[in-house]
Amino acid sequence: MIFTIAVHAPAYASGANHHALQFCEALLRAGHKIARVFFYHEGVYTALSTQVTPQGEKNALAHWQALAEKHHVELAVCIANAIKRGVLSESEQKRYEQGSITLAQPFELVGLGQLIDAIAHSDRYVEFPA
Amino acid sequence: MNILGIISRPPYQDSHDLELIEAAMVAAVFDMNVSLLFRDAGIWALLDNQDASPLEQRTLSKVLTALPAYEVENIYVCADSMDKYALSGQQFCLPIIALSLIEQQQLIAQQHAVLGAQA
Repeated sequence: MIFTIAVHAPAYASGANHHALQFCEALLRAGHKIARVFFYHEGVYTALSTQVTPQGEKNALAHWQALAEKHHVELAVCIANAIKRGVLSESEQKRYEQGSITLAQPFELVGLGQLIDAIAHSDRYVEFPA
Repeated sequence: MNILGIISRPPYQDSHDLELIEAAMVAAVFDMNVSLLFRDAGIWALLDNQDASPLEQRTLSKVLTALPAYEVENIYVCADSMDKYALSGQQFCLPIIALSLIEQQQLIAQQHAVLGAQA
């Protein structure tokens, strides 16, 4: 089956962000495909590049990056939700004349149409709310 | 393809209601058959004559009244939630259809995807 996953929860507010990651890993182990992981609402903070994880705590960003690298999963971040929360790609940093690029690689800022398109081409849509 | 957005959080406590309505509008632009279901404290978002300017937020009732322009005309409300908060359809900014829990179950079963899950 093809799945679209939406992550609404930031990494450190609840277990939901980590559950989403584990669910993605389980899907891929079981032979399913992930059309796109879409980060929405406060879930966009997952892609913040300036997070510093204390020693001994899990590094959610690194886990998502590893998932993307190992399985070529697309990590899409809602552009409207991201920029108002300070998660800026290089082009948005320039457009709004902000001091820093804060979007981690390989996350991409995309429009909501990318969520709807992924849902339309998936058998299942699963949200992980905050 | 049917897509349903469920709004169940109280309006203005965060930006989730507005961001979900925006997702519904984009889905409609992508030719999806979009419905919205308001339930629990989310039904307060439908109240007419809101003014969110003191909160420096966009007024949800004004945003919602733009839905018909996006051809989002299936606006459903949980009948139990209306009873709970003693609200009637006349107090809302849009024409609505009140649904029982069984009817909500049937509505959800007809969808390809449902947006707006609650933790």
